Amino acid sequence: MKPSIHLIPQIAFICFFILLANVSKGQDSSSVVVDSALLERISNLEEITSYTKPEDDHFMVVGLATFGFVSNKTTISSPGGKVVSKTNSFPDADHFEFSPMLLWRHGNKFLLEFEPSFSGDQLGVNWGAISYYASPGLIIRGGYFVLPFGTYNKRLAAGWINKFASDPEGVAGATDYGVEVEGGLQAGSMKWSYDVAISNGFQLLPDGTLQNAGITDNNKNKTITARIGWLPLSNSSLEIGASIMTGKVGDAGTATENLTANLYGLDLNLIENIKPFQLNIKGQYSVTDVGHTEFRNPVDSSSYSFTNHTTTGYIMGSLRPTLYKSFIKNFELAVRYGNYTTPLNSIWGTKDNSLAVGLNYWLSWRTVIRYTYEAINGSSRVSTDLGGTPGATTKSNSMYLQFSIQL
Amino acid sequence: MKILSKKLIIMSTIVVITTLSAAILNSCTVSKKVESKSGAQLWAENCQRCHNTPSPSTFSPEQWETIGMHMQSRSLITDKERDKIVAFLKQ
Repeated sequence: MKPSIHLIPQIAFICFFILLANVSKGQDSSSVVVDSALLERISNLEEITSYTKPEDDHFMVVGLATFGFVSNKTTISSPGGKVVSKTNSFPDADHFEFSPMLLWRHGNKFLLEFEPSFSGDQLGVNWGAISYYASPGLIIRGGYFVLPFGTYNKRLAAGWINKFASDPEGVAGATDYGVEVEGGLQAGSMKWSYDVAISNGFQLLPDGTLQNAGITDNNKNKTITARIGWLPLSNSSLEIGASIMTGKVGDAGTATENLTANLYGLDLNLIENIKPFQLNIKGQYSVTDVGHTEFRNPVDSSSYSFTNHTTTGYIMGSLRPTLYKSFIKNFELAVRYGNYTTPLNSIWGTKDNSLAVGLNYWLSWRTVIRYTYEAINGSSRVSTDLGGTPGATTKSNSMYLQFSIQL
Repeated sequence: MKILSKKLIIMSTIVVITTLSAAILNSCTVSKKVESKSGAQLWAENCQRCHNTPSPSTFSPEQWETIGMHMQSRSLITDKERDKIVAFLKQ
């Protein structure tokens, strides 16, 4: 059906009106003036939002730095006379340390920890391991890490944590290549923790001492290290731990190949808030037994032997007036007693008793200036056949002034 | 070879016992007193076992997540404790 001729003008008018309306609308939208400052602000906010949104991965750097001064006087006495030596040094060589720690979290299951360290004129690595948080109470680790023997090396040795400028004698750290499983578990009001590691282990040296075997094992045997911790009180203020380490230490293909070293240890940690003070008592005791073997006398090349039994331990107490409101709350007084007894009739035999007194001033929760005075009295246990002098004693008095920070 | 097998058996036994013990202990009931503890209380009780209690303002929320995992592997606190402490420090 064809439209009536008289309707054509009306249709043309409607089309023209619609066209005019659209053109007008287009002109309105193009004429809106946008505030450029507002656009810039929106752009900045979008950038910030995209930067701070939660991510699966996170990378950060923490670490610690320790620097200090030590003054030492050592007196070696024997029936033949007395020798005195004095030294002072920036820094104290045993504790000077710059150690950044790289933490790389992958989701909430993996954590990579890498801690290079510059100390004692050399660059080394304190820690390099990857941990898998498998399930509640189970962390699996592989790499290079501090072995779980006692608590001092893994938890307390860091400069910004330690109450003293020096370490207790004989409690040197054992860091090794291996795998580890660990975790903390709640049982009623008590807590337990376990930590088991399998690593390359120690290597027996020609004088009967032990050192870490390193990345290439000296034998096929692997060393097992384990610690169990028990926190009997619901406020976690008391922890008692027991450790064991066992493994063969002789080099493959030698007479000492099957020689075993067994280490046993106990540790204690008590925190008590006795208003207005906080009392902290920590201690660790360990025994090292290495199997019997013959050694070569460096004096005349004859063979000799000794019971390779070493004990070491320390107990320390610290007091801090944490509830005082003035700067006095930043002071902390600490006292430590230590004993280190190495095998009788060995070339490194000694019996050392040490007493350290420390005064710390905490600039923040992780920054400390500390003064430590330590006296070590040692008596020789080296046999005369090995060049030892009966009755020889060593007195060492050291004064430390140290600054340490966690970053 | 015989010694190696014996050693492997001992190692495997330790790993199995450890894993089983962990599972069994973990299934133990947690006392209400412990269960009701806040993140702030756990922060005060556990951090001071080794060092001074950290200020929440030290790190960002993202950083506290990472620090929480790092510290758990040193102190061996439980997962629930870690989660509560980190939640408190992130505030």
